[in-house]
Amino acid sequence: MTSGAPLLAVSGLVVRYGAVTAVREVDLQVDEGEIVSIVGPNGAGKTSLILTVAGIIAPAAGTVIFAGSTLGRIALEDVVAQGIALVPEGRHIFASLTVMENLLLGATVRRDSRAVAADLDRFFAMFPILAERRRQPAGQLSGGEQQQLAIARALLSRPRLLMLDEPSLGLAPMVVDQIYALLATIRTQGVTILLVEQNAERVFGIAHRVYVMSGGKFALAGDAAEIKSHPRFDAAYFGVHMREAASGP
Amino acid sequence: MSEPTRGHGHGGAVETAQRLWPLLALAAVIAAIAIAASFAPAVLQRRTTQGLINLIAVVGLYVFVGNSGVLSFGNVAFMAIGAYVSALLTMKPAAKSVFLPDLPAMIAHAEWPTLPGALAGGMAAALVALVTGWPLMRLSGISASIATFAILVVANVVFGNWTSVTGGQNSLMGLPAYVDLWTAFAWAVAAIVIAFAYQETRSALLLRASREDEAAAQATGVNVVRHRLIAFVISAFLSGVAGVLLGHFLGIVRVENFYLDLTFLIVAMLVIGGRGSLTGAVAGAVVIAALTEVLRQTEVGFQVGKTTIAAPAGTGDVILALIMLLIILLRPDGIAAGREFTWPFGRT
Amino acid sequence: MERLVQILADAVSVGSLYALTALGIGLIFGVMRLINFAHGELITFAAYALLALFGQPVPIMIFGGIAVAVVLALVTERTAFRPLRNADPTTLLISSFAVSFFLQKLLILVVGSRLKGLDFLPELGRQIEFAGVRLQLLQIVTIIVGIVLLAALTWFLRATRLGLHMRAAAEDFRMARVLGVRANKVIAVAFALSGILAAAVSCLIVVQTGVVQPRMGLQLVIIAFVGTVIGGLGSLSGAALGGFLVGAATIMLQAFLPPDLRAFREAFVFIAVALVLLFRPQGLIPARGLKERI
Repeated sequence: MTSGAPLLAVSGLVVRYGAVTAVREVDLQVDEGEIVSIVGPNGAGKTSLILTVAGIIAPAAGTVIFAGSTLGRIALEDVVAQGIALVPEGRHIFASLTVMENLLLGATVRRDSRAVAADLDRFFAMFPILAERRRQPAGQLSGGEQQQLAIARALLSRPRLLMLDEPSLGLAPMVVDQIYALLATIRTQGVTILLVEQNAERVFGIAHRVYVMSGGKFALAGDAAEIKSHPRFDAAYFGVHMREAASGP
Repeated sequence: MSEPTRGHGHGGAVETAQRLWPLLALAAVIAAIAIAASFAPAVLQRRTTQGLINLIAVVGLYVFVGNSGVLSFGNVAFMAIGAYVSALLTMKPAAKSVFLPDLPAMIAHAEWPTLPGALAGGMAAALVALVTGWPLMRLSGISASIATFAILVVANVVFGNWTSVTGGQNSLMGLPAYVDLWTAFAWAVAAIVIAFAYQETRSALLLRASREDEAAAQATGVNVVRHRLIAFVISAFLSGVAGVLLGHFLGIVRVENFYLDLTFLIVAMLVIGGRGSLTGAVAGAVVIAALTEVLRQTEVGFQVGKTTIAAPAGTGDVILALIMLLIILLRPDGIAAGREFTWPFGRT
Repeated sequence: MERLVQILADAVSVGSLYALTALGIGLIFGVMRLINFAHGELITFAAYALLALFGQPVPIMIFGGIAVAVVLALVTERTAFRPLRNADPTTLLISSFAVSFFLQKLLILVVGSRLKGLDFLPELGRQIEFAGVRLQLLQIVTIIVGIVLLAALTWFLRATRLGLHMRAAAEDFRMARVLGVRANKVIAVAFALSGILAAAVSCLIVVQTGVVQPRMGLQLVIIAFVGTVIGGLGSLSGAALGGFLVGAATIMLQAFLPPDLRAFREAFVFIAVALVLLFRPQGLIPARGLKERI
């Protein structure tokens, strides 16, 4: 699938908010075409991590190399131009705008209107409910439909890397199934996905590799199958093993 | 802010002094200004008196703005209320019958002593604040500010047209001009004592906590509306008193003197001094008073040989607005930056 | 009957003026959460531009008014408001208050505080017969200008790319930026549009009153502000509606109040506004997604 350098390489990343260190020296790698997931409880630092990867927050230390070039601190408006699309926690769709208008906003940085139209057709085929409701205000969509909209909108910028922050949050299990099926389909179309989730069980079905984050650090990292059956998984997720390590064998 | 003293013979007294230090320091500054002015020529004394009156107005505004974080444009309306109420109650009936022949008999014949008149002015303003504040304080920050603007406009329209009671657009003259330097000084000290005492209350503390995040405060059950209203009413009382003093200092009440220009002056004083602390309010009043003195002088001009070099009329206003703009851009917390005078004798 | 139609025409025409003013204020508030007190100065400066260009052909005069208002709006945005873009709403409010006063006092310094007469388009003061009723041509023109500008603005916001960006930015500024919408461009366009609206209002006011004075804009925006609040901060249709209602109300009260209460009509309007806010604090047409910002 990949040849040579990874699409995303993060090394020694440290992120601080004033006196609080949210991310402590994290190394992360995502190869092209993979689905990589970061799982961990609330407050583990996952959101800070991906916001820093996107260039929205400046790290206190460490580097982020995306598609071969080092990513410094960039303006919010330039994130999409880098080839990164972010589906933030809570979806943030524009409730007063129509579904179509929401989607068009995803193509803000694109200049090729014909290709955008072709992409829209593709997405309407992939997300039939959006096609059906394209002229309705997005605020009238259900939670799951809004999540689909947010993902389609993100994809419309033809990103190389799609980052999702807690896509299953607040959604019913059946709806989450649909979303994850969608993500699997998207991946087959060549989009690399970095997925942040609290709900670890979900990601094992589609992720290639999983990082378990707790207290700002990666407690475990490896292939999905490996992590899923790892004996120390629960402990790593909840950060227990760090206390055990601290108190000594 | 204050820490318990250790091993000092009069520990309680020191601790109290520490807590009261900002108040004592401010009172000392005001006293120093008043004493210095008392040796100055009469003109300067009068300007200082007016400066002290403005200080009371700024402190009044601060009590609400500083604690609630909501800007109020309505305090000058409370000043007007105070001025008119006190005027009506304390003016000699003979003077009233000249300017306001249509007054209701009870008011026309009233001739109250000055202090009750002043208190009535303040209380009237407080009452209006209570009534108007009750619906307004429910509004979110910006809407509330615009709504206080409405108070200012309504007051201006009412006072400007209620000719039988206020004289309408005509000046109301003949107020007993009892406000001299020391009267203003006494009231200024009273104002900062009231402001300080209020801001130490639990209500004020809760209000300041809600300043940062309205939603969070409400979620924890703090009745933001009630605490805002309390601050608003106290603020109105002080502003009302300032209005009383202004009227009885000038001897005259004119409705157009209590509108946008005065609002701008008071707001500018608070913003430049720092709207987060009482020290800021006082600092703003002092600094701007000094500045307007200087600017007034430049507009009067300096003699150079036979010619007078003077800045064109209106320069002072432009410069004041420019300074306010620069402060909000470069040092938005103002001169005092939200801090009170700190105890200079080291922590124990 | 004729009198009633005349009063209605007056109410609708004045309502249109206030609606246009409130729209200008609402546009800026939508993208920046800033109540622009200086909008009044845009109106005033445009009028002085008309005065300065008096004698030139009318299109030149109007263009001059628009140019001055737009340039002034963009300059104030760049110098006084952009640095404060992430500041809390109260700081923004103070800033716009300071800018407004600075501009007003500067104007007084330069041109003096006396009013000056300006005989602009006096032919619009003519009376015409409209469906059997005698109305002022200016009233008809005002209403038409109001409708045209409102329609043009609506078209711009709904049918153009830039308009879409502005609507998105007004609802969720951060997310719009994450998608690539340029913050500076959207805000600059909002200010420029508000300048155009201010210039239009200015021309109409000057024709109506025949007078130019440094405080003319201020009186208008005070009422328009309240209209924006009652209409619902953050919603453009709310701003237009609120401005319209408040403006029309002042005329209706003028016509129907007993003579000795007429002077107090503004007080009545504001009290009515307070009552509306009491029962509906979010305004008549509240904007969505407004909670976190305010």
